[in-house]
Amino acid sequence: MHGIKNKILKIVFNLIGESISFAVNSLVANKLRTILSLLGITIGIFAIIIVFTVLDSLELNLRKSVESLGDNVVFVQKEPWQFGPDYPWWKYEKRPSIDFPVLDKIIKNCNSASAAAFVIFSSVTVKHGSSSIENVTVVCGSQQYDKVKNFEIAEGRYFNDIESSSGRPVAIIGDVLASTLFPFENPVGQTIKVNGAKVVVVGVFKKEGESILGNSSDTQVLVPINYARTLVDIHDENLNPQIMVRAKPGLTNDDLISELTGLMRSIHKLKPRNEDDFALNQTSLISTQFDSLFGVIGIVGWVIGGFSILVGGFGIANIMFVSVKERTNIIGIQKSLGAKNYFILSQFLFEAVFLSLIGGVIGLLIVYLITLVAGDSIGMEIVLSKSNVILGFTISILIGVVSGFVPAYGASQLDPVEAIRSN
Amino acid sequence: MQSTVKRPKILKIVCILGFFSIVFSFLAVFSPSVKRMGDWYPALFGLIVAASFISYIGVWHMKRWGVQLFIVTFFVKEILAVSVSDFSIAGILFSVLCIFPMLLFYNRMDLNL
Repeated sequence: MHGIKNKILKIVFNLIGESISFAVNSLVANKLRTILSLLGITIGIFAIIIVFTVLDSLELNLRKSVESLGDNVVFVQKEPWQFGPDYPWWKYEKRPSIDFPVLDKIIKNCNSASAAAFVIFSSVTVKHGSSSIENVTVVCGSQQYDKVKNFEIAEGRYFNDIESSSGRPVAIIGDVLASTLFPFENPVGQTIKVNGAKVVVVGVFKKEGESILGNSSDTQVLVPINYARTLVDIHDENLNPQIMVRAKPGLTNDDLISELTGLMRSIHKLKPRNEDDFALNQTSLISTQFDSLFGVIGIVGWVIGGFSILVGGFGIANIMFVSVKERTNIIGIQKSLGAKNYFILSQFLFEAVFLSLIGGVIGLLIVYLITLVAGDSIGMEIVLSKSNVILGFTISILIGVVSGFVPAYGASQLDPVEAIRSN
Repeated sequence: MQSTVKRPKILKIVCILGFFSIVFSFLAVFSPSVKRMGDWYPALFGLIVAASFISYIGVWHMKRWGVQLFIVTFFVKEILAVSVSDFSIAGILFSVLCIFPMLLFYNRMDLNL
């Protein structure tokens, strides 16, 4: 039994080996034809895999950015996070601004909240010595900002209670700012100038990398809101004032939103018939908007790539028919010498799959090279994932089998006498 | 050495419908929805599509291995569909409607490759 098994395995391996060798010889003998026919597959695989790679990378980046905002945080703001042509901005413009005193009322009265922070954003110029950076985003946050926003501090520390409540001139700076302003020294304990005012650096954020939402802490400066009063007008509506509220562990955002809605309505003294004059936003709104966008891009890429691959498949089928026609008398000789139908079939099928695989591998290699170059140049990590590599190989093999089977089967069914006679 | 058995019209229709379904299934292999089901799911799905295509070629040439391969592929496809909760009654019905005429003419089909 063991002997028979070994014999069968030997026959199978011989068959595969001979088929591959025949395929390679045939492809090498017609180099130009081979290159032209695999070009279709290369372009098809490239088109599909590059779209999926870019989409996957964008989704990964977006997920990271959204996670850094906090997935169980509700943003109390004037305007809702909505996009599209039907956005009634004129309606939201009339709403009252979210002001700092609201924060105290939320902290005191909201039982579903574990932490809350008032935040505004402004643009400033940051200087240290001769180095100067313009248009740096300064985030002005109240004491519990570290509890509502996900970030890590690489060096130094977060503000203490006294610094925060008394509004001391302290700051935590992003990794890019730290390396630009302090290329050869530790920034912690050093002084920087924010819009001309001296501020002591007490911490440096851990490097986050580029963010699709543009909220990376790498290029931000965080200062206590009570200090920010000396830099900017914290009641200015243009500074995007908002209160970030984190739900207690075990509670959902819906629970928190339900309580916050009642609380905000009572703070704004709204009558039962009045509409809400505030917005309670959550990060899932961003994810949903982007999911539908990515879905559309994915389908467009799929259709374009799909047709490219179909065209490539027709190219391979065509070349295989030509190949069978050219080698008809050789097939006849092989069959008259005892070659079985399955050997002829596998020989041509391997040739088609091999051709298609080479095209697919070249397509994947081009995508890989682009991810290396693009990743460095655009600052966003673009990764050719395992699933996309598997998909590339799958499509290559599938197109080889589908386009090569009919010509290969036709070759295997040829009559040896008629095949030898053919020109 | 082409098969000399005449192909019944009903099998001709089944095969042509099958080839059309293969084109759509082929495009589905790399669709975003199939890709979302797992890293290896498109590969398995692609294998099923390839096997289905080969089985239709076999049936077109009136070969018994075509019917056998079609039935095996049908069961593998349904097991895979159940495992990912992507069960479709319409898909099963289409396959069963294909298998029925194939089995009807099975005895008239050729045994060889």
